[in-house]
Amino acid sequence: MSQSQIINLDEKRDFEVNSSNLKHVRSFCREVFEKLNINQELKDELVLAIAEAAQNIVKHAYNNEETEDKMEIKISVSNGHLEIGFFDKGRPVEKDKIRHRKIDDIKPGGLGTFFIQQIMDAVVFKEGEKPWINHLILSKNLNN
Amino acid sequence: MSYKVTEENNISTVFLDGEIDMDVTEKAKEVIMPLIEAKKEVHLNLKDVQYMDSSGISVLIESHQKATELGTKVTLKEISKSVLKVIMMAKLEQILNLD
Repeated sequence: MSQSQIINLDEKRDFEVNSSNLKHVRSFCREVFEKLNINQELKDELVLAIAEAAQNIVKHAYNNEETEDKMEIKISVSNGHLEIGFFDKGRPVEKDKIRHRKIDDIKPGGLGTFFIQQIMDAVVFKEGEKPWINHLILSKNLNN
Repeated sequence: MSYKVTEENNISTVFLDGEIDMDVTEKAKEVIMPLIEAKKEVHLNLKDVQYMDSSGISVLIESHQKATELGTKVTLKEISKSVLKVIMMAKLEQILNLD
């Protein structure tokens, strides 16, 4: 797909950090990706990657504990390059400890990070700028 | 997520409907696990599941492993295209019983 067919956009939304909001995260992503001229299969994969990253914030940054904190998700497309930013105020991510389970070790759990890595070109954790603690960036070239 | 359970010839079929994510996995397990623990053969009909994430896949793995442990079987029936894609992404198509 040539980049001339993909519009530039920049959209962000806040979500309360809890599992019942994951469906709203997906709705937001679907709304945004509807504006892009990319195939449905890719849209579905991107929604999955974003939802898995949001789920990781609920599960790991907040240990699935009740909070009034919000996370912010920002989706940007520029010249066919997609960048998704996740900002949260949870427990600082220990980058060295993030790894998916071995895929041939069949057991429940540990697949979310694997899916994200399968779908996206790059996954980068940064320290968040105030007031954020964590800043995760997922990126993918949509021109391929 | 909503569900319906039918019984026929000692097979329990659970028809799952909707999107299966972290928010509903406990509900899904509460429906499926007692059937497995009762050593029934369980069919999970996934034709109306439009979305499943890694949490949903974990329920499928846990159900499969529990059934194997108890000498019974969980079979996935009429798997929707979107769910099949996630199962294949997790490289589970040779592990889970797909029909």
